[in-house]
Amino acid sequence: MIAGVAPSRRSLRPGRLGVDVGAALNLVGSFVRYLSLAFLVPTGVALGYGEPVWPFLVAGGTTAAVGVGLVALTEGRQRVGLREGFLVISLTWLLVPALGGLPYVLADEPQLANLIDAYFESVSGFTATGATVLTDVETLDRSLVIWRQFTQWLGGMGIVVLAIAVLPRLRVGGRQLLQSELAGPTELERLSVTIRETARRLWFLYVGLTAAMVLVLAAIGWSGLDPAMGFFDAVAHSFSGIAIGGFSTRNDSVAAFGAATQWAIVAFIVVAGVNFLRLYRLFVQRQPRAVTGDEEFRLYLGFLLLGSGLLMLELVAGGVFAGEETVRHAVFQAVSTMTTTGFSSTDYTQWSALAGMTLLLLMFVGASAGSTGGSIKVVRHLLIAKIVHREIKQTVHRELVVPIRLSGSVVDERALRSVIAFVALYLLILALGAVGLVIDAKRAATEIVAFDAIGAAAACLGNVGPAFGFAGPLGSYEPFSNLSTGILTGLMWLGRLEIIPVVVLVTRSYWRP
Amino acid sequence: MTIIEALHEEHSIAVIDTDPVRLSALAYRYDIMTLEGNGASRRALREAGIAGCDLVIACTSRDEVNIVAGILAKRLAPGARTIVRTRNVEYLEVWHERQLDVDMVVSSELETANAIARIIGLPAARQTDVFAEGLVLMVEFDVARDALRGETIGRELRDAVIPKNSKVASIIRGDRMIVPRGEESIEPGDRVIVIGSPEAAREWGRMFGGERRRTDDVVVFGGGATGVAVARVLLDQEARVRIVEADEERARVVAEELPGARVFHATGMDADFIERERLGSSEAAIFTMPSDERNLYAATLVKLHGVPFTIAVVDDPASVAVFERAGVDVAVNPRMVTAEEIVRFAHDPRIRQMAMLEGDRFEILDIVVREDSELVGKPFRDLPMTGSLIGAIVRGEQAIFPHGDDRLEPGDRAIIFTEAARVHQVEQAL
Repeated sequence: MIAGVAPSRRSLRPGRLGVDVGAALNLVGSFVRYLSLAFLVPTGVALGYGEPVWPFLVAGGTTAAVGVGLVALTEGRQRVGLREGFLVISLTWLLVPALGGLPYVLADEPQLANLIDAYFESVSGFTATGATVLTDVETLDRSLVIWRQFTQWLGGMGIVVLAIAVLPRLRVGGRQLLQSELAGPTELERLSVTIRETARRLWFLYVGLTAAMVLVLAAIGWSGLDPAMGFFDAVAHSFSGIAIGGFSTRNDSVAAFGAATQWAIVAFIVVAGVNFLRLYRLFVQRQPRAVTGDEEFRLYLGFLLLGSGLLMLELVAGGVFAGEETVRHAVFQAVSTMTTTGFSSTDYTQWSALAGMTLLLLMFVGASAGSTGGSIKVVRHLLIAKIVHREIKQTVHRELVVPIRLSGSVVDERALRSVIAFVALYLLILALGAVGLVIDAKRAATEIVAFDAIGAAAACLGNVGPAFGFAGPLGSYEPFSNLSTGILTGLMWLGRLEIIPVVVLVTRSYWRP
Repeated sequence: MTIIEALHEEHSIAVIDTDPVRLSALAYRYDIMTLEGNGASRRALREAGIAGCDLVIACTSRDEVNIVAGILAKRLAPGARTIVRTRNVEYLEVWHERQLDVDMVVSSELETANAIARIIGLPAARQTDVFAEGLVLMVEFDVARDALRGETIGRELRDAVIPKNSKVASIIRGDRMIVPRGEESIEPGDRVIVIGSPEAAREWGRMFGGERRRTDDVVVFGGGATGVAVARVLLDQEARVRIVEADEERARVVAEELPGARVFHATGMDADFIERERLGSSEAAIFTMPSDERNLYAATLVKLHGVPFTIAVVDDPASVAVFERAGVDVAVNPRMVTAEEIVRFAHDPRIRQMAMLEGDRFEILDIVVREDSELVGKPFRDLPMTGSLIGAIVRGEQAIFPHGDDRLEPGDRAIIFTEAARVHQVEQAL
């Protein structure tokens, strides 16, 4: 930095805050600027299907203008430090869905005419949640449908991860941004010396997995195994599948497709729920031990098997399905719910209360850290179990020193404390959200039972998507009042950013110099 | 000091040290050249006449100085062999990987750890040395004062029952060493040095140590470098190891480094803690804390709580006797242990390995028999009986524990027990 520039920069800081808001906005602006290019995808589809192109062009233009405007207004404020990072992440994830929701409004889609509903749908897209206010997705323009799927794909791996891979200026400070977006409690392991190269490799893998899924699904369609699966559906479900999103092109979600499609989707979701850094080591660097030797991976599989097994038992006891169907639906719902995808192979709201309870609990498990899935995540459950085990040991042996290890390496005590803080905050916010929904339902005269309210809050905070009751897999979040929709939107946002980067912003010490 | 004691008779020695008081004390005791200065300085090394020397031993208290001195010496005197002493085991690993250009690295931590593990591994044994890749063991045993006379103890050696494949090399009674002729006998309170196969050594151990099995529940007090090295060696032998460390940060580091051990953050002086954790039920306790006083106090404390066997690592060679008198079963001095290793290497290059016993009164030599040796071809019963004894012969892959009819052949490796003063004679005879 040139010495003479420093004082003038300082005087620009409004109100002597400890956070350089201008610099944060500058970075947000440069992210948004590039987002405008994403609108080219639905524009192409609209051209192909002969649908109106202008909603995407206008939205793209607006996005570019906002981005360029932000950058211009905050010219020269490029130094983003640790503190600004939190603000950048939080603002990006508020602003991007707002701009990304423009096509829904501009296309004059009656189901999304309400601005809050459109924003909810867009946030649900970018956060890869999969909750929808649409009651009939099949009447939407194809271009609008593919945009919906594409937002999930963009948000799944992370807008900022993409930006780090592309933007040269994020060489410094990018690590922390990446850490906040590519969620997980433990220190990010590097795939490469530079953070930029790491981000690039993650995206490379992400694109590769998506392409593989498109091929498999399309092959299932072409080969006649599942006549319902066309190329459009293959692409659309690959976008939302690898992103662990859950949006579908059909009102009946994946139930509209055959058994072969459902099994293929399960397989890809299971893979997408594994830590991408480890997947890269497995697929690209050919180090199978990176995955098989990982304690989190083993517990992840264990949880999936346990969830599937429990559901299977309950389905057999209930006599709902027969033979292969029992296994398929049990496995599909367990995998889809636990990894926080939100596809459905059947309407599970018709299942027993015990099955419903199992699914609700699976929503709290989540996928692996460093995957595109949400919720608490398997590694945190693992660490909490280890912390509890240690506490019990130390009540008997007071002086015993027990470092906690994960796959053989010691976990920093700070990271352990942050895991406990995260889970506590997660449950607190869930409780507040659910209570808020119930109170608002009373005011707005929406009929909702406590279990469904908790389910909806958990499904949004965990970025799962479909919940129970009217918000079930074949239903919609449409009956919720505007206020409730707003609460749920907030939960999705908090859940995607793993709460702490957002909560930091409302503390006084954050803003102090 | 111990090294000088062992080497001064056969070699002319120059000592470099930064402490003039220590140097003058040495010069008073031994006929050596002394030089005040830093061993890692090229000028000091040149002044000491490094160019013409055969052997350079770097054994100051600082690892890095020793390594620099060793590397410098290797450059300044290409013909000399260099020995470097370090505490840190890591340097030893580096040397094993040939990344360090010296002839020999001895880690005092590792040597101490090994010495302790040997003592624990074989009950009643004071010292065990391994020869010929484990084919031959040399073990020094204490015979308890209240040991019962029987088939072995108290009977003339020519009639006594002695485990197969072993030989009594020497009997030490008080300050006297007894050449084990047929008419001598092992008496209670003696110290016996035995050479034999590993099975025979174990049998001797059972004989003197009663029915005690291998120790596998050990407490290590002090999580310093030595404590960690000891714990690591014991963990390798699949012992159950508990470590007590007073410093919280250090305890954490130790716990991270040794996943197999249970680490406690506590002082060894806390009787409540020792009671609560039932440390008294351990089979052995090892004291590696940085202060001799604390070690002695803690050792006495755990003895009161019922630990039957205590080993202390003592810094000052003079403390060894104090500790053993005060009731600590064995006191180990890292410098003495290391000195043994260094002296072993400093001897004739034909000597592959050598053990020092009783300070430096006796040595065990591992030496290859020359073709023109006067002893080749003679049956053992005709060899003269002196203070030296051939305990075992290694021929090819086999160890032979010779009897009267066996003969020495050229190329044999002989494991010989001898008085230190006779080392030279033995070397010449073979």
